[in-house]
Amino acid sequence: MGNIMLDDSSKPSNRRARTESGKGRALSRRSFMKAGAAIAGAAIGSEVIGAPTIWAQEIKDIELRHVGVSYSVVKAIGDQAAKDLGFKVTMQNLDTSAAINRFITQPNSVDIADLEGWQAKLAAKRGVIQGIEAKKIKEFDNFLPIFTKGELDGHKIPRQGISPYEALYIEKPDSTELHDGVTDWLTNVPQVYNADSLGYRPDLVGHTVTEWKELIDPKFKGKAAILDVPAIGIMDAALCFESAGLIKYGNKGNMTKKEIDFTCDKLIELKKDGQFRATWTTFDQSVELMAAGEVVIESMWSPAVAAVRVKQIPCTYAAMNIKDGKEGYRGWCNGMGLMKHLTGKKLEAAYEYMNWYMSGWQGAFVSRYGYYSPVPSTAQKFMTPAEYAFWYEGKPAPEPVTDPYGVPMEKAGTVRDGGSFVERVTNISCWNTLMDEAAYMNKRWNDFKVA
Amino acid sequence: MSAAPQMLASARARAKRRAIAPSRGGRPWTFYVLAALFTFYVVALYGPMICIYILSFQDVRGGLVFPMKGLSLHWFVDLFTQVRTGDVKGAFDRSIKLAILVTAITVVVSFMAAMAFRRRFPGDNIVFAMMIGSLVAPGLVLGIGVGLLFNAIGIDTSWYGSALGAQLSWTLPFGVLVMFAVMSRFDPAWEEAARDLGATAWQRIRLVIIPVLAPGLVAVALFGFTLSYDEFARTLQTAGPQNTLPLEIWSMTLNVTSPSLYALGTVTTIISFVIIGAALGTIVLIQKRRGARARAH
Amino acid sequence: MTLSRPLVSWLYVSPLMLVLIPFFVLPILVVLVASVFETDGFGSLIPTFTLANYANVLTSGLTFNLYFETVKFTVLTWFFTLILGFFVAYFLVFHVRNQLLAIGLFLICTVPFWTSNIIRMISWIPLLGKEGLINSALLHLGFIHEPLGFLLYSSFAVVVAYVHQLTIFMVVPIFNSMARIDKRVVEAAFDVGASRFDIMRLIIVPLSKSGIALGSIFVVSIVMGDFFVTKVMSGGGSASVVGAFYEDISVLQYPSAAASAVVLTLVLMATISLILRTVDIRKEITR
Repeated sequence: MGNIMLDDSSKPSNRRARTESGKGRALSRRSFMKAGAAIAGAAIGSEVIGAPTIWAQEIKDIELRHVGVSYSVVKAIGDQAAKDLGFKVTMQNLDTSAAINRFITQPNSVDIADLEGWQAKLAAKRGVIQGIEAKKIKEFDNFLPIFTKGELDGHKIPRQGISPYEALYIEKPDSTELHDGVTDWLTNVPQVYNADSLGYRPDLVGHTVTEWKELIDPKFKGKAAILDVPAIGIMDAALCFESAGLIKYGNKGNMTKKEIDFTCDKLIELKKDGQFRATWTTFDQSVELMAAGEVVIESMWSPAVAAVRVKQIPCTYAAMNIKDGKEGYRGWCNGMGLMKHLTGKKLEAAYEYMNWYMSGWQGAFVSRYGYYSPVPSTAQKFMTPAEYAFWYEGKPAPEPVTDPYGVPMEKAGTVRDGGSFVERVTNISCWNTLMDEAAYMNKRWNDFKVA
Repeated sequence: MSAAPQMLASARARAKRRAIAPSRGGRPWTFYVLAALFTFYVVALYGPMICIYILSFQDVRGGLVFPMKGLSLHWFVDLFTQVRTGDVKGAFDRSIKLAILVTAITVVVSFMAAMAFRRRFPGDNIVFAMMIGSLVAPGLVLGIGVGLLFNAIGIDTSWYGSALGAQLSWTLPFGVLVMFAVMSRFDPAWEEAARDLGATAWQRIRLVIIPVLAPGLVAVALFGFTLSYDEFARTLQTAGPQNTLPLEIWSMTLNVTSPSLYALGTVTTIISFVIIGAALGTIVLIQKRRGARARAH
Repeated sequence: MTLSRPLVSWLYVSPLMLVLIPFFVLPILVVLVASVFETDGFGSLIPTFTLANYANVLTSGLTFNLYFETVKFTVLTWFFTLILGFFVAYFLVFHVRNQLLAIGLFLICTVPFWTSNIIRMISWIPLLGKEGLINSALLHLGFIHEPLGFLLYSSFAVVVAYVHQLTIFMVVPIFNSMARIDKRVVEAAFDVGASRFDIMRLIIVPLSKSGIALGSIFVVSIVMGDFFVTKVMSGGGSASVVGAFYEDISVLQYPSAAASAVVLTLVLMATISLILRTVDIRKEITR
């Protein structure tokens, strides 16, 4: 029946529609599609008599299975997408490890795979995803150039680890190797990302933290914590050691055996000295450790800091701007990949789904967690000017800020830690990764755990 | 000859001095010690549960720990309407249905397997070794293996298919081993007597073996249910596109975990107490009726 | 029509085989094969025959440390569940006279298991944490002046969580064994003046041997094969054997994870054979 490319500027109905920006027109996608299909049908010819009903009917029976981690694949987002697009969307949450294993060993059981940069590299290598046509992604040109060109305002984004730009392009739709440079085919469509750093208790630490080395400062012996995910924990540790001037890494995201040995041995030394109160495994553990005052400085994720603040306990996400080639945030980015087996109507629906993500509702939703959308311009349409000012521009909040479910979080006047998103993102010094020496790194990390 | 009755008498006196046997009259000191231990055990068992019950009544600001925030039924409502992250209710439904299926199949298949093992048969050592192997093989790796096989054959993994099989491979060894222990107290004389009276094999099973072994079958059912309901490692890669409850909760721990989990704990406890109360009540009623009928004769 | 005895036995055991073959035998063969392959680090399996994976697993000091940690927890858990399970079963069998009451008490012990294990794991934090119920109670009563830190995110917490979860697996088999002890034997022993200790040592324990062995098998299998209790409750302070190959799987290092899994399976099978050699459960029912 051919592609019916509809104008994506029709905004889906939104229960948070703010009247000030004039988005009140609840023009549902479905009715627009029907109208558009009728026009297109008339233009194409006789064989598409009844096309609108067939299209709507067929698409009603489609079910897209979107699988990924719970902070990126959110049921509320899936439900809204289903409402706006007219087909079923099933979100399934797994942890990172189980997800990548599912994609590789049971590719037919997933439709849309939620992939981090390094997972996209793996999935391409194993041939379980298909290339995404960049032309079919509506807002592609509005994507922040950190993804599409690896730079922002002329400033090249550091590529230690596997940056989203590096993991984005492949040469042909069925290539198994990543391509360094812009092409027409993508491995994934980025949908949410952030820059991670340390969380700390400003009341108990006493000063502003801007350097990673504070985590390993003996001042905080027994009151520091790091997370128990080898690939991420080791990079946080690397940032600390580099910040303290103990070592200079070639590529923190792809260490040599010697660098891994140095890092893990130093970690074991710190553990034996009693520096770490715990190595946290679950999100809530990181929140509780901080909220109860058991640790005062910790590797944390942005929503965890927010969760501590909801408990009325001061907690700051350190601003780690790059200084002298040291410091900087650790960035991560999740994107949607299309599994190879998608064809025909389902593939069409998948493209609709991905385009819907870029149309703004999802972008606004994840912003309230402290995450960013790759297309801030559309997300902005679904946020109040106050929210946008707070979350993206780093300005003081003109009014109280709520979390994605409406629970009040920040008082008016607070400033988002780290400043504007431009400032935070341009200061990312390394990205989540899969190292060449991953097996060796796992072994040494376990040595650290049993020490 | 006169020494014997004297010895018996002194032995009896010694016994009376030491302690009174539990089945005669008053309570020995050991009863109180053991009762205290039992109470401690039950309290310890319910310790975490009490936190769950209390914390499930928080309001919308509530987290997973004390101090408690507010008092409301918000999380119970959330549990049934699913506003927050995760599909707790759906996962719970699937877990319960799967657990019931697994329990039923485990009881039947364990019973049958134990019947088979009553006599030596060619290959019984191999079967036994396979069973033990299935018990000890790490579920994580086995789950991936099952997933790979299903994918290769082209069958979709699902909670009622591949996950069911994977969980059975875990619960059946438990069930069969318990049946071994239970069957060993089954006196074959009863079965012989039934055969002598002309009962067919099926009648022997239905009217003699199963009723006598009923408590053991209940034990197998209990294990089957608990093991299936909490099963994580094998189910992780075999559940297909829909999570069971342990998978769902584990995935939620990567993000803010909602206290609706506590509400779920409270709800399941209330349901289980109701069921137990009903079951015990029925038994008491049946016993009373039997007693009345017996007296009437 | 009478079928031959072996055939009848095979018919009885066929459903079990129907489950074991596709869900254990075939996958474990896949794992065995994978353990001698190589990988390119991206999750592929390159068909060769190499024992390098096994060499790595068996000669690394890390393996020894991991097994040591896991065995430590297993032994501690086994010990405490045995003591607790034995005496709880003993109480229910010998000291509770009303059978209905015994059943009722037993069922009360099973109610917490209707709540998913993971939820109970999460609820340890409000119980054992520094701001939790126990610390608050102890502080309030004046027994301590500062909250106890070792209650949570420590080896203590791991053992407590395991014992909490697994005592029931000891109680049930031991209860089963004890229930079939003829009470008249115990009475006779009392009559001839045996002390309680002697009765325990010479009558009750020997006759509950199969229950103890069974419970031990269950506890050992579950603890050695577990990873998330250790991961969560130790606060990352301890690692476990299965935890280590969970991390290998996270980076798609299938061959080395497979080799570790095979080694663990063999170690456990040996352990259980040892237990079964002491108490031959099979002999008890075969004639």
